Amino acid sequence: MVSLSNHARDRAEIADLMARYLFAMDYHDADAYAECFTEDGVLDYAMGTLVGREAIRAEALVFRDKIAEVFKDWQGNPAKLRHLVHQKALRVDDGRAWHTGLWWEMTNGGPEGSVATPSFGTYEDELVRVDGRWLFQRRKIYNEFLAGRESGPGNPVRTMGEGR
Amino acid sequence: MTSQQYDDAYARDRAQIEDLMARYLFALDYNDLDSFIEMFTDDAEFEFASGRVKGKAAILEAVKRFKVRIGEHYKDEDGNPAVLRHVLAHTAIRIEKDRAWTRAQWFEMANDGPGKSLKMGTFGIYEDKLRKVGGRWLFSERRIMNEFLPGRESGPDNPVRSMDAAVGL
Repeated sequence: MVSLSNHARDRAEIADLMARYLFAMDYHDADAYAECFTEDGVLDYAMGTLVGREAIRAEALVFRDKIAEVFKDWQGNPAKLRHLVHQKALRVDDGRAWHTGLWWEMTNGGPEGSVATPSFGTYEDELVRVDGRWLFQRRKIYNEFLAGRESGPGNPVRTMGEGR
Repeated sequence: MTSQQYDDAYARDRAQIEDLMARYLFALDYNDLDSFIEMFTDDAEFEFASGRVKGKAAILEAVKRFKVRIGEHYKDEDGNPAVLRHVLAHTAIRIEKDRAWTRAQWFEMANDGPGKSLKMGTFGIYEDKLRKVGGRWLFSERRIMNEFLPGRESGPDNPVRSMDAAVGL
């Protein structure tokens, strides 16, 4: 069999990681969420910066409560929140990778239970392949609707892998 | 529970399954039911808001009824059937030789907002089983979960866990 390009293989695997990450997050599966990171992984997001898989796991355990305070449906109950990732720019180099992806989110928090679309931003990630699977070594989540958390103004893809 | 072995075969099969999932949505939204039904195995099962059916003939009938209901439910402000698009987002795919499973986020949007503007409809997930038949990936089961229909919601557990657990069954 002719071998696929490494990029095609890595892209497929990282797309799977991205999906597993989002399902773990939105369904409050803290263990599966933490397993998407390396042991020394870093999560840098709107509510803080967590260093290490165990710190990330502990944070993920309280995602549900934190999110419930921010996102409510029209009757005041915790909203169903779903994060989505679309285009994914990827640079891969010898077991390391850099990713810039566009995310947005939707909830059932609109009028009378309809869909609301609160915000969007970017994921800017560093990944490493450990024991045959890609993991996040660092995920920084930018949000264009939170002052101080906006991405840019430069094209984030230009700096992927810089200073490696 | 075993975990996915990522290799060249995974990337190739994943690309083919992603193509199938895209073709499915174009066929559905453009009323191309001939193409639609060819994406299922002969013994496929299809479960959605109206129930669960088995076999291609039953799936085709169910989807025809579904399309009629959609035409009645989604209308633009002039009363014409709305232009409705189902959109696929992130997809977790588990592959073991000639079998595969997915958990995939979908949402829908149409031109049924004020002034025929874009309005978001509902969202949910697909829970699929697939088989590779004659070199081609096909759906052997598609369950369509919708977070806005009581009784049809996904979860509450992470749906990827039931996907990985299904591999050993």
